[in-house]
Amino acid sequence: MTAAPDTYESVSALVRRETAMVYDAGKEYLVEARLRPLATAAGCSTVDEYVRRLPLDAEERRKAMDALTINETSWFRDHAPYQVFTDVLLPRLLEAKAAQRHLRIWSAAASSGQEAYSVAMLLDQHLPAGWTHEIVATDVSTAMLDRVRAARYSAVEVNRGLPATALVRYFERAGNEWEVVPHLREKVTVRHLNLAAPYVGLGHFDLILLRNVLIYFDQDTKHDILRRMRAMVEPHGYLMLGSSETTLDLPSDLAAAWRREQEGRVQVHRPTTGA
Amino acid sequence: MKALIIDDSRAMRSILRRIVTALDFETEEAGHGQEALDKLRDGELPDVCLVDWNMPVMDGYTFITEVRSNPDWRGMTLMMVTTESEQRQIVRALAAGAHEYVIKPFTPDAIAEKLEMLGLVGGAA
Amino acid sequence: MTATAIPAPTHDDVRGVVDEVWETLLGDAAPLMTRLVPARAPFDSAGVWSASVSVSGGWQGIVTVELTEYVAGALAATMLALPEGLEVVDADIADAVGELVNMVGGNVKSLMPGPSVLSLPSVAAGRAAFSSDASEVARVDVTWAEQPVRVCVHVVPAGAAR
Repeated sequence: MTAAPDTYESVSALVRRETAMVYDAGKEYLVEARLRPLATAAGCSTVDEYVRRLPLDAEERRKAMDALTINETSWFRDHAPYQVFTDVLLPRLLEAKAAQRHLRIWSAAASSGQEAYSVAMLLDQHLPAGWTHEIVATDVSTAMLDRVRAARYSAVEVNRGLPATALVRYFERAGNEWEVVPHLREKVTVRHLNLAAPYVGLGHFDLILLRNVLIYFDQDTKHDILRRMRAMVEPHGYLMLGSSETTLDLPSDLAAAWRREQEGRVQVHRPTTGA
Repeated sequence: MKALIIDDSRAMRSILRRIVTALDFETEEAGHGQEALDKLRDGELPDVCLVDWNMPVMDGYTFITEVRSNPDWRGMTLMMVTTESEQRQIVRALAAGAHEYVIKPFTPDAIAEKLEMLGLVGGAA
Repeated sequence: MTATAIPAPTHDDVRGVVDEVWETLLGDAAPLMTRLVPARAPFDSAGVWSASVSVSGGWQGIVTVELTEYVAGALAATMLALPEGLEVVDADIADAVGELVNMVGGNVKSLMPGPSVLSLPSVAAGRAAFSSDASEVARVDVTWAEQPVRVCVHVVPAGAAR
């Protein structure tokens, strides 16, 4: 029942062209699982048949891209980075931005929004009175951006890593789902963005969360993204990658542009000054 | 680490047992709150209790209240795992002394992540 | 009848609950498919298990699950992780189906005005029977592995004895 190898290759090429993400060999099952429901809905009897249709059908192609780029995420994913944000980064940012009293944070692969709203919850608790903040959530998938805007999550989703105290404080029941409260929702701005394309009109950020997404890009694109991220972060700001993502193998210009700092179990990156 | 799984459904206890055993917990089981209290009085204390709400003889809410009234059991972590999913019920359980709350239905990850948040799995090292 | 005045969950709400419970208990390998059944048609299969929970307090209702012996057996075998080929005994099925209706019922309760209390499940081999006071307000008919599954919500007008 699994899709033919050439189907997998053409999907992989398509995803790469549309989003610059790389679908490694060995993820065939994922392609099958994510495209089968779409294939059935489109009246195709096999995933192979559906994939053959994609080059000719822009609407189905967009749906397929959405399905293939979905990230499974939980609240406060990996926990430690959020701890470091609250305990270490935030006090330093408060010092650096004492004059402006405004923080800007970019959730650069927002997926269904758990990261952006997790940060919103922390800032609600830890930002001193008189400060304001904006969280910009971007994603390549329009379906995901709709989810971030709706800010509604199923019971199964709110079980994932969200402390019960936060659930009762920052969510309201909305029918069968849980909806993020308005005062958190209004802090999050949603924008469509392909990380491999230019970053226009986003402004600068005190913290960029670029977690668990670089792994989907090939080496050149990954380096290009890190190069262009340098201009997006404030001189005193931080870039956070996923816990399994490393910058050890960077080309020399990039290695010189970012300084790696170890905070407990978490690595953060800061732009180097001058140079 | 040791977990006491309190649920009137053997099938649900079996699901929870498989999840926490995979996280290196030893397990004990009880079919209702009273049986769980008896186990706490007789044996070695577990690190965490996974507590259903609706059970015969003694429900999970009463169990939590009973546990919290005994200072000897203060070190034990209590996590509700229940289909009760009104905001009001979660607030009540937390006020009564539950540390965490998982709504049924849940995925195995949800249990693992909450136990990690409570410092009972991995992490810290 | 004034049953229309009693709040009731929508079909989609109940379906959402059923899908979610089903997926976490049995995985998404075989999804629930919608099944078209004429209104008021009884659950039309031989070898049936049924289970119900009642909700009382701010809202009075009964949530019932009906499924075939095959589906009930598969549910019990999965939940209890029974080795393949081992016969599933009635006690196992009753336990698993009871927990299923507890999960569906608790989530339906949370959609309705409260506070209310959920009863312990009652499980029977055989079709569900409903008192004449109860009126059906939502019904979800689906198939799983080509076998029928039904979830019903009935409301009981205040003051009516069950």
